[in-house]
Amino acid sequence: MNHFTFSWGSNYIAVRGLLRALGHELATPPRIGPAIAERGTELAHPFLCFSGKLVLGQLAAQLERGDRRLAFMSSLGPEACRCADTSDYLRSLFADCDGFTAHRIGGGGFGDALSNLRSHFGFRVRRRDCFRAYAVFFGKVDLLHKVDKRCTALRCLSSTPERVRELEREALDLVDRSAGPFALWRTSRWFDREAAGLPLRPEPPSLRIGVVGGEHILSELDSIMAVVKGVAERGILLDWRSGFRLLARTSEERLAPLKEKCRPYLHSAPSTSEIFSCAHATDFIDEGYDGILHVYAFGCMPQTALKPVLQRVAQDASVPLLSLSIGDRFAEEGLENRLEAFIDLLEARKSKGATK
Amino acid sequence: MVVVRRAAARVGVPRSILHYEFDGAIARFLEALGIDVVLSPPTNREIFLAGKHVVIDELCFPIKIFVGHVAYLATLNVDRIVVPVVVGHVNDRVFPCHPRCRLADIVRALGLCDETRLLSPAFRFDAGGLCAEGFHELARSLDFSEKESHRALPTPQTRDSRPVVPSAPHAGPSVGIVGRPYVVKDAWANNHLAQRLESLGCRVLTEDGVQPIGYSPEGTGLHFDLAARTLVLAGLWDRDPEIAGIVFLLPFNCGPDGDIARHLQRTVDTPMLTLVLDELQSSAGLVTRLEAFVDLLEREPVATRGRSR
Repeated sequence: MNHFTFSWGSNYIAVRGLLRALGHELATPPRIGPAIAERGTELAHPFLCFSGKLVLGQLAAQLERGDRRLAFMSSLGPEACRCADTSDYLRSLFADCDGFTAHRIGGGGFGDALSNLRSHFGFRVRRRDCFRAYAVFFGKVDLLHKVDKRCTALRCLSSTPERVRELEREALDLVDRSAGPFALWRTSRWFDREAAGLPLRPEPPSLRIGVVGGEHILSELDSIMAVVKGVAERGILLDWRSGFRLLARTSEERLAPLKEKCRPYLHSAPSTSEIFSCAHATDFIDEGYDGILHVYAFGCMPQTALKPVLQRVAQDASVPLLSLSIGDRFAEEGLENRLEAFIDLLEARKSKGATK
Repeated sequence: MVVVRRAAARVGVPRSILHYEFDGAIARFLEALGIDVVLSPPTNREIFLAGKHVVIDELCFPIKIFVGHVAYLATLNVDRIVVPVVVGHVNDRVFPCHPRCRLADIVRALGLCDETRLLSPAFRFDAGGLCAEGFHELARSLDFSEKESHRALPTPQTRDSRPVVPSAPHAGPSVGIVGRPYVVKDAWANNHLAQRLESLGCRVLTEDGVQPIGYSPEGTGLHFDLAARTLVLAGLWDRDPEIAGIVFLLPFNCGPDGDIARHLQRTVDTPMLTLVLDELQSSAGLVTRLEAFVDLLEREPVATRGRSR
């Protein structure tokens, strides 16, 4: 029987790569949309973050189509939020669903990851199987991140945005089909060549906006971030440095310079999401970006706690900040209106010479 | 820069969140150092509004109250205000929720007072309560020596050794209140729940009425410390034949407690009433719900209910 999972954007492709390396298959999760959001909202407690509701909606839709074996990546360390409690929570939520099993794969280190894989697939998983599966997983995570970022930039810089969308679809499909590290390397080379061959607009981007926020929402592609990234096609360069890749590769060594960057605003408390967002916001300001866009799910504890801090960061630097809290009743039209108003403001400031 | 003269130092401590959570350990430590401690008054509407007006709407109800206490202290003649950073359990497996972790950052970002007036030592906790390093850091920042700090430290016995408070005589059912200590113990935040239940003839028990369950009970497997405590306490009372009902206090937009709310409803056999606490507290609505709950408990005595645990 196929496994299934929930997915932040296209990260299911990496999880599928890991499972395929072990000889298993993963079903493609349904696209995030109003029906999924509605189903999640029905299932969840109102105080669960909107990202959590999307997850529950996606899981419920897959359970309804008959999938039963859930395998998911989540963190247990200080960077975790509710996802740390996910296994028990999901088991109790879907207890009435016959045959439902939930297994966390992944872990804080190699030993932990191997033990979690064995708890799900049995002791026939050897150390070298685990090593290869994770090599594929991280290879795909890195490549998916590259494709996502490069294609968003190209939607602003290229004169053929429709060709960029096509390239992105082809690249995701190829990453999904690449079975091992060598195939991934070849896919990466192919993508670089194709991206470099796209025609560029003659004029530079009219604005540069740095995007920070909850990694889960930033990685979502089908509705919220589709609207946000659509801004790029108006000749606005969007950049973000958070996302699933950073979460998957979090370590104290990687966090240390970011923590240092945040020192004027954040004390050294455990957690990762706030540190990423705050450090990246200060980076964007230092690099002369015209504005900061803060996107987070309503009920997201780390990002809600960070919001007053980001307001202070933006105020100290006199850089406009728009915080978009995405909740159960979000409407794409409302989102577009707020983004347009923000862009108008940034353009007016730029025309007056208020930004670098 | 505020210059603190040790002998004359007046230090403000917000009577909220960490004060209730750790039974006033920080205020007691400062008093033992000989500091003139100014504890903010019990929460009232003015204090809450002072916080609500400056904090973003989406933050949870207790954070708004906490910020109100800091705002109140900032208007007083105090040299420093303690807003600690709570880092997590020493085992690195159990953590406070993010807004509680970030209290000091939120207060600093809001600019309620000169940053140099804020004292933000980092505390870890273990099964017995706050660990010594945080207290030493606090003492150092007030220019006390290590020796003086050691002398003033709360002993392991006083870190979590509240005397078990016997409850008043009663005629009605026994009701246990579970939830975050800072909403259970803050009478304004919980709309005087204990008093209201007692007036309906109930015997009211809180965590203070049982043997300490310690910080971050790990058997639950939960990530968040206080949600784990709530789960343990609810389980304890669920197995206690004396307890007729449980009231679960759930502050508005509290993520960890929201996550366990449905789990508690599924796993606890004892009748349970979940009260969501927010700034729009209506006494009339609350009293009606409490009366209905107590009525239910009186009609269905403990002995007639099936208990699976």
